[in-house]
Formats: sequence, structure tokens, C-alpha cells
Amino acid sequence: MFLKMSSNQVRSYCWRVALCICLVYLAAIFEEQGSAATMQTPLMIMLAAGLLLGLAAGFVMHRSDYCVAGMFRDLFLFRSTLLPRTLVLLVGLSLVLFELVRLSGLVAFPFPFFGPPSGVNLVGGLLFGIGMVLAGGCVVGTLYKLGAGRFPSLLALIGLVAGSTLYAFIHPGWAAFSRMLTLPTRAVTLPQLLGLPPWLLTVPVGCLLLGLVFVWFRQGRLRQHGVVEGYLQPWQAALVLALIGVASVLVLGMPMGITTSYSKAGAMLLTGVAPELVAGTPYFQLQPLNYLPPLGGGPLTGGPGPLLDGVALVQFPLIIGIAAGSALSALLLGEWQLHLRLPWRQVLSALLGGLLMGLASRMAPACNIWHLFGGLPILAMQSLLFLAGLLPGAWLGGLLLTRLVMPPAAD
Amino acid sequence: MSSSCKQVDLRGQICPSTLLIALREVNSRKELLRTGEGCLVFLSDNRSSVTHISDAVINMGYRVEVNKEEGHYRVAICGS
Repeated sequence: MFLKMSSNQVRSYCWRVALCICLVYLAAIFEEQGSAATMQTPLMIMLAAGLLLGLAAGFVMHRSDYCVAGMFRDLFLFRSTLLPRTLVLLVGLSLVLFELVRLSGLVAFPFPFFGPPSGVNLVGGLLFGIGMVLAGGCVVGTLYKLGAGRFPSLLALIGLVAGSTLYAFIHPGWAAFSRMLTLPTRAVTLPQLLGLPPWLLTVPVGCLLLGLVFVWFRQGRLRQHGVVEGYLQPWQAALVLALIGVASVLVLGMPMGITTSYSKAGAMLLTGVAPELVAGTPYFQLQPLNYLPPLGGGPLTGGPGPLLDGVALVQFPLIIGIAAGSALSALLLGEWQLHLRLPWRQVLSALLGGLLMGLASRMAPACNIWHLFGGLPILAMQSLLFLAGLLPGAWLGGLLLTRLVMPPAAD
Repeated sequence: MSSSCKQVDLRGQICPSTLLIALREVNSRKELLRTGEGCLVFLSDNRSSVTHISDAVINMGYRVEVNKEEGHYRVAICGS
């Protein structure tokens, strides 16, 4: 049924292409930054740290198959609660650690990109939930699975970039809709809304969640019988990902996030064929990132346009790192394989799921990793609304998957 | 492999189709599996699916054997 493409030549070719892309990117970043001034040490540290954090995240996610799309999908499809319990561990630990970082005064809170809540966070979460289930992985899940050689994830990535780029052309209308649905508050987080010091909410909630995790751990409800080589328990992955999140906040000044880069990648590709279109599209001229990185080096700005700016500096290394970390894990286990044959229903599902997810990640705005791993730990209201939409979205996605994507029994 | 042993190649497929197809196959051959007259073999390169398939069929009372082959896993299911 499947055409197996696992020869050493194919593998070697794929790796050469991937390595070339990484080298060209790194050379371009140095060229871009160096043309303005000699690239500053803090920015170089950020670039290197992004790569290392991505590598660690990709490696850990592959070993434990820590798929956030699967976490929500299987909650509804199979009533599986193991991965959601590990998310409670991740969020609980991050609540406490992020608060310690905030109290240290080393990093400005809340993080860049977060704003007051709007109904579009809910709508975006709903559409994102549907998309990630159909695509077979979220924006980060797609990357680590792609790194391990999974063909459906390549299709999902193509859909993601297409959807993120398509959003640029509906942005003016969607931005107006977003303003209509903006809630009547300027507060970004729940503590700000209630006029309370953040620690008064984050620390008790974090400790409560960690207490729950402790009970589950004692009951053995956080463990899964691993039958695959090099298996890492999902709770261990959650622990490492929480620490990676804190390291990201300390070094990059924000939690892990990568979705603006999908629009940027689309803008770069589009510039090659229709530069006037990119130059004349207002969304590609936006600069939503404007902040002072904690390591210094002056203000960092950037947006979804085709330039190698602050967004590229912060997010591209993470993207490359996640895919490379997963690939490294798969290669070390001898599990890196590429199978190009896929039932047509799954081809469509991966492409359309990726497209919807890309669109939704701009509409929400941002993705599940940003909101769940970075927003919930500071009780960002955008993230709470996103989660409220993500749950029914994952349920709907599962319904569509079982009704439309699964082949009939006779296939 | 005996004629009553069916092999299903799930390599490369999107999640969770692998698990859903595997469960459907197990249910459609449950009589043969129960009596020991048949067995099922799944080939999968999806680590999560290998874990979930073996967990699910163990819970259904079958015996499972997981072996790693070149770049993928072989999940063999036979009678209880």
C-alpha cells in the first residue's frame, strides 16, 4: 500500500537540503544584522539559545510523542486523560516559575504580543482546534513530526504556511471584526482585571494544580507503559517543556511562539513571484513585535513581513531547532523514515487542516503552544478564551476526522 | 506467516487513523483472535500509535508482542 522511500540516498539528500536551508538562514541573519551594525552579543546569544531550546523541545517531544493536538483530540475520541494531566503539570509548574521570574524583575510582564481579550480569541481557538486535529498535529507537533520524516506533517506545514499567508488578505476585515468583539477592558491578565498582585492568583492556582499532579503521581495515573525504544514518559516531557518555557522567558523575554514566522515564510515565498503584492499588502507592513530583550541589545522589532527582523531572530531558530531535535532523536533510534504514499483522504485532511490552522493562528491570534505553555501560566485572558474555544474545536475536529477522513471499512 | 494471520501496513499514516484502523481490524477478527485461529500484525512507524494500539488491545484481553524492525515497529496480536 505504501511506497517506502528509505534509501540512504534519499535520507542523505533530505539532510543536505535541510542543512543548506539552515546555513542560508543563519548566514542571512548575520548578513542582515551585520549590515546595520556588527551583530551584538545579546542577539547572538538569543539566536543560539533559540536553537538550543528548540533542539531540546524537539528531542523531548519526539521521545515522548508529546502531541498537544492528540492530547485534546483523544480526550474526546478515546476519553484518554493521561496527556491532559501532564498539561496540568506543565501549566502548574510554569505558573509558579513564571511568577518567580516576574518577581525577580529580570523580564517585563506580560509578554510581547499579548493584549486585551476579544471574542476572536475564542473563535480562533475553535478553528485552530478543528485544524490541528485534521492536520494530525499542532504548529509545533507538525514540526517535530516533520523532523522525524513524517510526510503528512510536510503537507500540514504547506497548509500552515498557505493559511498564514492567506490571512494577510483578510486581515483588514478581521481586525475590524476583532475590534467589535473586544471586551470592555484594557487588562491583559486576570490579576490585572481583578486589580490583584499577580502572585496572589498565580501561586495558589499553581500550587493547587501541582497538588493534583502529586495525587495522580502517587496513584500511578501519570505513567504509561512504554513499548517503544527510548520512550520518555509524557510527564517527564511536560516537566522539561516547562523548564524550556522558563528558559525562553529568561533569554528571549517571551515564551515559545512560532506562528508569526509562518506568515513571514509565506511573505518571503510570495516576494519571489509577486513582490508588488507583498509590498502593497498592509498586513505585511505591520510591526507587532516591539520590545526590549532581557539580555539587552536595544529594542527589537519585527512582524509578519518578508524581512529578517526580530521575529525571524526569535522564532526561526526555534523552528529549525524543534525539527532538528526531533530528527536527531529519530536518527539516533534508527527510526527516521519517509513514506510518501498516503490515502487521499489523509492528504486532503493534512493540507486543509494545516490551512485552517494557519488561518486560525493569525485570527486568534497565536497558537496553542503560545497560549497553553506561555499564556495560561500568566493567566492571560486571551489564552483562557483560546482554551475555551480549543476544546469544542478539538471535539468537532475529531468528529470530522472519524466521519470524513477515516476510510470506509472496505478500503 | 500463516494464511489466517493478516498483516496491516499503517506506516506513514496520519494520527489517529492508525489506532482507529487497528481497533476496527481487531474487532472484525475478534472471533479468530479469541479462538487462537488467527492473528493480526500491524506495521507502524508512529511511536504514539504503537503504544496506544498495544495498550488498547491488552485492555481488550489479547496478547501483544512488539518488535522493532528496520525503522518501524511490528505489533503482533494473538489470542488471549
